[in-house]
Amino acid sequence: MKKESLHIENDAYLAQWMSGEISDTELNNFVSEEDARAYFDLREGLHIFEALEQPLERSFTAVQNRIRTKESAKVRKLYLRWAASVAAVAIVFFGLFSMLNQGNTVIHTSIAEQKIITLLDGSEVIVNAKSELSFNKKTWEARREVHLTGEAYFKVKKGSTFSVITENGTIDVLGTQFNVNSNQDYFEVNCYEGRVEVSNLEKNYILNPGKAFRRINGNDQEQWNFGNTTPSWIAGESSFKSVPLKYVILSLEKQYNLKFDSTKIDDNLVFTGSFGHNDIEVALASVFRPMQIHYNIRDDVIVLN
Amino acid sequence: MSQDKNKICDPKVFEEIFRTYAKDLKRFLYFKTRDMDVAEDIMQDTFVTLWSNCSNVSYEKVKSYLFTVGNNLFLNMKKREKLMRSHQNEVSSRPTNESPEFIMLEKEFLEKIERTIANLPENDREVFLLNRIEKKKYREIAEKLDISIKTVEKRMHNALKTMKEHIGKV
Repeated sequence: MKKESLHIENDAYLAQWMSGEISDTELNNFVSEEDARAYFDLREGLHIFEALEQPLERSFTAVQNRIRTKESAKVRKLYLRWAASVAAVAIVFFGLFSMLNQGNTVIHTSIAEQKIITLLDGSEVIVNAKSELSFNKKTWEARREVHLTGEAYFKVKKGSTFSVITENGTIDVLGTQFNVNSNQDYFEVNCYEGRVEVSNLEKNYILNPGKAFRRINGNDQEQWNFGNTTPSWIAGESSFKSVPLKYVILSLEKQYNLKFDSTKIDDNLVFTGSFGHNDIEVALASVFRPMQIHYNIRDDVIVLN
Repeated sequence: MSQDKNKICDPKVFEEIFRTYAKDLKRFLYFKTRDMDVAEDIMQDTFVTLWSNCSNVSYEKVKSYLFTVGNNLFLNMKKREKLMRSHQNEVSSRPTNESPEFIMLEKEFLEKIERTIANLPENDREVFLLNRIEKKKYREIAEKLDISIKTVEKRMHNALKTMKEHIGKV
C-alpha cells in the first residue's frame, strides 16, 4: 500500500534519483528490486556513454600541440639556421597578425548575393544579400555567438546555447532552424524547428515551430503563425506579410542594385506579397502594381508616385 | 593521384578527419582498453601518427588506417604491459569483467542507449541531453526552456523510464 500511495504523489522520482535527491535505497520504495537493478545498470551505462560523448575539442588541441613539438624537434636537426630564420619571420608575422586580428571572422554579402557558411561546430548559416555576419574563432568554444546585421537563416547543431546578437535583440537557441531579419529598426524572427528564445531590453519571447515574431520601429510587437518550412528568400523570392512599404523597398535595394525616391508616396502603407530575385521588371511590377504606385526610372533612381 | 595523397597534410582536412573519426576511434579503443584515459591517449597517438604519415595515406582509406594504427598501438601497449608484469611477477589487476561476452554485451548496451535516446520524444530528449551531456541542472533547464522544474523532472523521469523499458537488463 505504501508503494501505491508514493506512486501517486511523486511521478518524477527517477529524475530525482538521477540527480541524487533520492538515494539508491530509497528508489526501492518506488520500484521493484529487479527494476531498481535495471536502473542501476542503466545509470552505469549512461556514465560511460556520457564520457564517450563529451566534446573532443581539448583532445584536438592536445594532438595539435604534440604535432607541433614533434615537428620542431625534427626540423631543428636538419636545417637549423634555415628553420630558425623561417621561424623568426613566422613569429613576427604571427604576432602582427594576432595583434591586428583578434580571431574575428567577418562575412559580408553584397547586393543580390547569398552565402552559405558552415560554422566551427557544423551549424549552417545562409546569409541573405547585403548582410554582415561575424563571429570570434577564439572564444567560439566557450560561447557559440554570432553578430548579425541583415538577414540570415540558421540551422544550428545541437549543443550549448547558440546566440545571434543583433542591434534589435538577441536570439538564443540550443539546436534548431530559424530565420533572423534585422535591418535598421525592422526585426523579425521565424522559428522553423525546435525552440527559439528572443530577448531584447524589455522582454523575452519563446517561439515554437511555425511561429514568428516581429517588431518594427521599437513598438508593436506582433506574433503570428506561418506554414512554410524554409524561408522563401533561399529559393529566390522575398515574401512579406503586412510589412510597411519602407522595408520592402529596402529589401528591393538589396536584391537589385537600385535607388528609390519615395518622397512622393506614403511608405508606411502595408504590403503583403512577394517579389522574385531574377527579373527586375517583374519584381517592380509585383510590388508596386498592387499598391497602385507608378514608377519611373530617372537617372538611375526609381521615382515613385 | 599525388594530389590525393597529400590531401591529409592540409591542416583543414586533417581537422575534418579528426572531427569525423575521433569519437568512433575513442569508443573503439575504450572497448579494448576498458579505460577512458588510456583510450584517449591511444586515440591522440593515432592522430599524431597519421599526421607524420599524412603524405603516405590516401584520403579514401583514412578510416581503416586510423583503426588499424589504433589497434596496433593498443596491442603494443598490451605487449609492454605483459612484459612488465612478467618481470614483476604480478597478476593482472582486472581479472573479472574482461571476458569477450561482457564486452560485447556492454557494447550492445551502449548502442541500445544511443538508439533509444534518438527515439525519445523530442521534449524528453531535449531535457535528457541538456542534463546528461551538457550537465545542466533541472533548474537551469527549466529557466532555459521557460517551463516549470516539475515539468523538467517529469520529462526526465519519462526519458529514464522509456530507456529502461527499451533496454531492459544488461
